[in-house]
Amino acid sequence: MITRDLSYTQKVRRRSLILGGIKSLFTIVVCGKLYYLQILNKSKYGKLSDLNRTKVKILYPERGVIFDKFGIPIASNRLDYQLTIFKEKKELINRYISKLKNIIFFSQRDYQELKKNLSIKDSSDFVILKKNLTWDELEIFELVSSKFPFLFITKEKVRSYENKFIYSHVLGYVGYKNDLKEQKLNNLKFGISGLEKTFDKKLLGTDGWIKLETNSKGRIKKELNKKLAIPGENVKTNLIASMQELSHKLLKGISGAVVVLDCKSGGVNCMVSTPSFDNDEFSNGISNDKWNQLVTDESNPLLNRSISGLYSPGSTYKLITALFAIEKMGFDYSKEFYCPGHVEFGNRKFHCWKKEGHESVNLIDAIKKSCDCYFYNLAKEINIDELAKFSKKFSIGELTGIDIPDENYGLMPNSEWKIKNRNEKWQKGETLNTVIGQGFTLSTPLQITLMTARIASGKKLEPKIFKRNRYFFENLEISEKNLNFIRKSMYKVVNEYQGTAYSSKLNNKLKMAGKTGTSQVRKISKEERESGVLKNEELIYKLRDHSLFTGYAPYDNPKYAITVVAEHMGNGSKVAAPIAKKIMDFALKKYS
Amino acid sequence: MSDLIFKIKKLDWFYFSLIFFLSFVGFVMIYSATSGMEYNVLFSHSIKIILGLFVMLIVAIIDLEFWKKNAFYLYFIFMVLLIWASFYGHIGKGSRRWINFSGFYIQPSEFMKICIILTLAKFFDEKRIKETRDYFFLILPITLVLIPFGLIVSQPDLGTASMILFISFIIFFISALSWKFFASIGIGFLIIAPYLWNSLKNYQKQRILTLFNPENDPLGSGYHIIQSQIAIGSGGTFGKGWMKGTQSHLDFLPEKHTDFIFSMLGEEFGFFGTISVIGLIVLITYLTYQIVNNSKIDTFQRILGFGIISNFFFAALINMSMVIGILPIVGLPLPLVSYGGSSMLTYFIGFGLILSIKLAVDRKY
Repeated sequence: MITRDLSYTQKVRRRSLILGGIKSLFTIVVCGKLYYLQILNKSKYGKLSDLNRTKVKILYPERGVIFDKFGIPIASNRLDYQLTIFKEKKELINRYISKLKNIIFFSQRDYQELKKNLSIKDSSDFVILKKNLTWDELEIFELVSSKFPFLFITKEKVRSYENKFIYSHVLGYVGYKNDLKEQKLNNLKFGISGLEKTFDKKLLGTDGWIKLETNSKGRIKKELNKKLAIPGENVKTNLIASMQELSHKLLKGISGAVVVLDCKSGGVNCMVSTPSFDNDEFSNGISNDKWNQLVTDESNPLLNRSISGLYSPGSTYKLITALFAIEKMGFDYSKEFYCPGHVEFGNRKFHCWKKEGHESVNLIDAIKKSCDCYFYNLAKEINIDELAKFSKKFSIGELTGIDIPDENYGLMPNSEWKIKNRNEKWQKGETLNTVIGQGFTLSTPLQITLMTARIASGKKLEPKIFKRNRYFFENLEISEKNLNFIRKSMYKVVNEYQGTAYSSKLNNKLKMAGKTGTSQVRKISKEERESGVLKNEELIYKLRDHSLFTGYAPYDNPKYAITVVAEHMGNGSKVAAPIAKKIMDFALKKYS
Repeated sequence: MSDLIFKIKKLDWFYFSLIFFLSFVGFVMIYSATSGMEYNVLFSHSIKIILGLFVMLIVAIIDLEFWKKNAFYLYFIFMVLLIWASFYGHIGKGSRRWINFSGFYIQPSEFMKICIILTLAKFFDEKRIKETRDYFFLILPITLVLIPFGLIVSQPDLGTASMILFISFIIFFISALSWKFFASIGIGFLIIAPYLWNSLKNYQKQRILTLFNPENDPLGSGYHIIQSQIAIGSGGTFGKGWMKGTQSHLDFLPEKHTDFIFSMLGEEFGFFGTISVIGLIVLITYLTYQIVNNSKIDTFQRILGFGIISNFFFAALINMSMVIGILPIVGLPLPLVSYGGSSMLTYFIGFGLILSIKLAVDRKY
């Protein structure tokens, strides 16, 4: 019995040893795997665990604020609330959007932008699902947010223009760049036009990032590390907000432009172009429909008429002609010509705007009354090439160097130009048209303003929107006596009876000097002359003359130079001059 | 009375302190898992440890003969409770396995493990089977295993059920049954394996398949294995520090205070921590082998001792294998470390029995 038991016990013992062996093996396998995981692959799993918990968010810089001359912000930033999702949870997006559709509006543009953001690989671990959340959307989302893990609200400062339309051309707008090489910042908006474009580098700032720790449910637990974004620098301009607003208001319903320059610094105090567009809408992403509508609009709202709109300078150009005659030709300004209403030259008749004529006038009266015949007679002696060269001193046909993009050269014709472009010799008759600002000559409202400002100051002013603290300008190298003569004649235009802008003289002891202009859009035929020229109101809108006025004030100490262009509004004294008067009245009352 | 003092004096206090230390590791990990904030969890776990240690002492002091004598009755009592739990019990974690005793939830299936070990030890001690013709008698122990197994599978609690089958198998093995027996079981298993596979639920199949390629389904059933491996791997040599595990504290690790507590330990204490705990478990197992092998003749003591320690050892290593991706994930806690009532109490009772064996062995000499 005992021996049998012993052998059985031994068997049990042997089995237990086998079992112990199995256990040892098992232990070795487990330890081996632990060694593999924790020693050999520590860095791999360490990285994976960091990827799990840390999320990097790009911090976009706040764009610099743009101020007017007196420190009023004219382009600032607002807080934008955005719906953001973890990039690694992309697969949730479609389901979430279909669930959220009822409480949050997703436009076609939102979808497009989302698609773009998903296709671009940037260093951010987040993707913006929807921008520009409204308060209502925010409130409702807060109530249901727990049902949407990995989705949360982020805030960002984005460009906002409170005075939409008023500054659209001069400030421009911001938007995405498509040809962006550095695509790590796919939500960064750049200046696309206007000042925003010129000073983009300054305004942009530097981006930063923030490293967040999140849990498996997508809740952010803490900030681990960050490099704050550096906001863009602010930009101070010479623009005067109140003047800009008033000008915009006065041009209501009119296609046109107002430019005001500071006669001392060359600073642009006002630059308005109408019709305008909503630059705030542009910056937030404009819909395709709206864009097409703007592009095909015949009144061309996207055009900055102040610097890109081309107009015949009309009679405002007579100032240059007159100055050229007395300065460069030694012309005696007391010389009188008789104006019967027209002048015959070659086998053509050149008409004065006043059919019955001005009778006998000298140069100063010719400017005051804007007599065309006087200048036709003057033109007979004028060499077009020299006049063209002289005109460039006043930036006619030259870039002014304004600090926003898309400025137009305009056109100051000369004989060389004629051959090159029309393949014809210059005709003397064409000089007659040129001296009164009709014909080939084209200029922008800014060029005309700069001309006036240079006459008023006698200096080679350069127009700048950016506010400089120090400036220096060369003299025009034109005798002060002759400049004074032109200034005096401009004074008479506004302040003396029979002056073309007499009805627009200021309600102020300070006086304005100026010149009206009418920019012809069509040619008047011989038959029409004979049967009587049609009045502007009788023409279809597109054929009506543009109304121009340029001037400066105060007369004895020039501060502001102004040009008003009102398209298809008839002669200068009727529409443009009264607008200029109102702006000057306002400016002189408020700022002197 | 003098007997009692003698027993307390002769008790293997070193062994006792190892058990206490392992459960203390559990407390430390659960403290971290709750970030030291959920006092009710911590309090309840401490109470369970203290109660467990106390029960272990009581069991150790009671004469081993008592357990041997009453093994079948205990089996019967817990069988009744198991049946009750399986049909009328409280449902938790997706299966009906709990009985509510005025606020205390107990899980009869856990206690059934000890009862089966006791019963089988008693059976093989009394009815030694050496000849093939004795195999007829095996019907009884096999039935004793299969009835609770069937009940637990029906709850359904595959983890506990397969553990019972596995331990019973080990006891059959220890009991020196002929190799032919195991060969025939093996062949039988191969024959029914396809049917068994088909009877598994889809998610269970998925878990087994995921084991071979967790990256195949990183957000589905592979997620837990991947996150657990990341937790353990990222712990490195010395870990991220107590309460500083990111995988666990940011909830990437599932079930961190129960089945995946070892992953958390690996993350916070590194290779050093995991190897230390394995070392502790191996040491306890080794000491148990010594105790049991000292009992030269008593087969009941041997089978009981090996059964209990194998239950503990394999549960521990299978749990670890699960969380490091060697075995499929079945609900199985890490003995004495994971948060959990009945299973922990079962292990304490088991160690009580081993201490009792030690006292019985010592008394003989």
